[in-house]
Amino acid sequence: MHVTLSIWQALLIALWVALVESRILGFSTLTMRFSPLMTGMMVGFIMGDIKQAMIVTAAIQLVYMGFVAPGGALPAEPCIATAIAVPVALLGHMSPQGAIAIAVPVGLLGSYLYQFRFFLNTFALKPMDKYAKEGNARGLGFAIMGIPTLISFALFIPLMFIALYFGAPVISGLVANIEHGTLIHVLNSVGGGLAALGIAVIMQVIGKKQLLPFFFLAYFMSVAFAKLDISMTIYAIFGAIFAILYVTFTSKKSTN
Amino acid sequence: MSEEVAANNVDVAENEDVQAEEHRIPQPDKITNKDLMKSWFGWWWANEVPHTFDRMLAPAFCFGLIPTLKKLYKDKTELAKAFQRHLLFFNTQATWGGGTLTGVTISLEEARAKALANGEEPISEDMINNTKVGLMGPLAGIGDSIDSGTVQYIFIAIFLPFAQKGNFMGALLPFLCFAIATFTYGYYFTKMGYSLGRAAAKEIMTGGRMAGIIDGLGVLGLYMMGILAGQYIKIQSYLKFTISKKVFDVQDILNTILPGILPLFAVLMLYWYFQKKGLKITRGLVYLTIALVVLSIFYVI
Repeated sequence: MHVTLSIWQALLIALWVALVESRILGFSTLTMRFSPLMTGMMVGFIMGDIKQAMIVTAAIQLVYMGFVAPGGALPAEPCIATAIAVPVALLGHMSPQGAIAIAVPVGLLGSYLYQFRFFLNTFALKPMDKYAKEGNARGLGFAIMGIPTLISFALFIPLMFIALYFGAPVISGLVANIEHGTLIHVLNSVGGGLAALGIAVIMQVIGKKQLLPFFFLAYFMSVAFAKLDISMTIYAIFGAIFAILYVTFTSKKSTN
Repeated sequence: MSEEVAANNVDVAENEDVQAEEHRIPQPDKITNKDLMKSWFGWWWANEVPHTFDRMLAPAFCFGLIPTLKKLYKDKTELAKAFQRHLLFFNTQATWGGGTLTGVTISLEEARAKALANGEEPISEDMINNTKVGLMGPLAGIGDSIDSGTVQYIFIAIFLPFAQKGNFMGALLPFLCFAIATFTYGYYFTKMGYSLGRAAAKEIMTGGRMAGIIDGLGVLGLYMMGILAGQYIKIQSYLKFTISKKVFDVQDILNTILPGILPLFAVLMLYWYFQKKGLKITRGLVYLTIALVVLSIFYVI
């Protein structure tokens, strides 16, 4: 039995991914990108099986629970992962676990696509600078919003459409092949290490060397207390207390 | 008699000069809550759309300010200068950083526009930029861990059981809650930044408490980065070797020396590179990726 998506279904899912990945729907697309839930729901609507789509998506969500992008670098793209894995799982009547096996490698590949978007956006900078210099607000607005959006649509719609319309059976076969090989190991290692970049960027941007001990303090606290599973809120409270103590003591010194 | 006429003529000429100067740089319009909302919405909407490694989120920040700057600078050259200074490198988190800084920047720009129109000494472009750059990093560190690391997952965790039962509300509700909550407090931060900013501008001029506040935010930002580094960077060694029939697991050895040494090493190498060569993010990304690929092909990591 050979089941595929219809042209319209593939196109609609591709369009949804482009809307999310272009970020044209505003800051809230953050949670559409970081979490598979909304994408899974849309795929369910488009394919007419919301219930099963949500069950599969909930399983994928557990893998991506707690994903953050410090300084803007996300190690995987849950949205892209879900847009591929849920249709493949629904068409092939796969278990949620089977869907996860597809989602994880696709998500790792997807993160390179998102980085590639940052690179392509560079082309919008030249018109931006030109319109800014002219004081042309309308042109500047278009260069900032219009050009990057068109770039994203041109990047994501064809790729996602091809992957979904022609590739759904190919993808599940491919994924089964690389699941235990070196390729998936490399993808995992790169995905796991990339978070270092965003963190180093923020450290550099904060730019106060004399405050670096607080970075080390936090780093070794989180390594040492990893087993205690302390929530981010508690850590944030610790951090705020350290900040208040630091400001209190240093400002006292300067008045004396 | 003729002297008086001459003196009057000089007076008239002077008056005309003053009027010409006032005409050249008109008074800015008053900034209202509606303008703050417009700018906050513009930044919120554009946020990650024009993201590049060169300027990061600067164009989005500029996009939010466009309507406000148009009200402040009726003079075309001043408007163009304002557009250009807000296209310089800028990166922060959307609500805690971007919301607050949208407000602070508008109040600084307003003070500058007013001073220009009145012919007084304006706040310098450098000062506006330094305020933004001084605050963007610490606030990003705080915002990343709170918004995407905490608020988002609280809502997802609450509604996930719906999704697991196959109910689409399990997807829709966490999204709506996150969108409404962050939009609301982001706007609150914008308004707070605006009212703080006018005081902050004065304080920066006189070098007062603001330095302490930036230091405090820097402590909290770096602290949160340390936590995120410890929790989210996954680099470990898979290297094993045998010496005289004894198997040595490199990761085990590293753990006895210093747990978590590899992720820390990666961050510090990148930080050191940025310190040496400036903030070249694309290059940092390429070098990091190459290093990770090469090491993982040979299962060193």
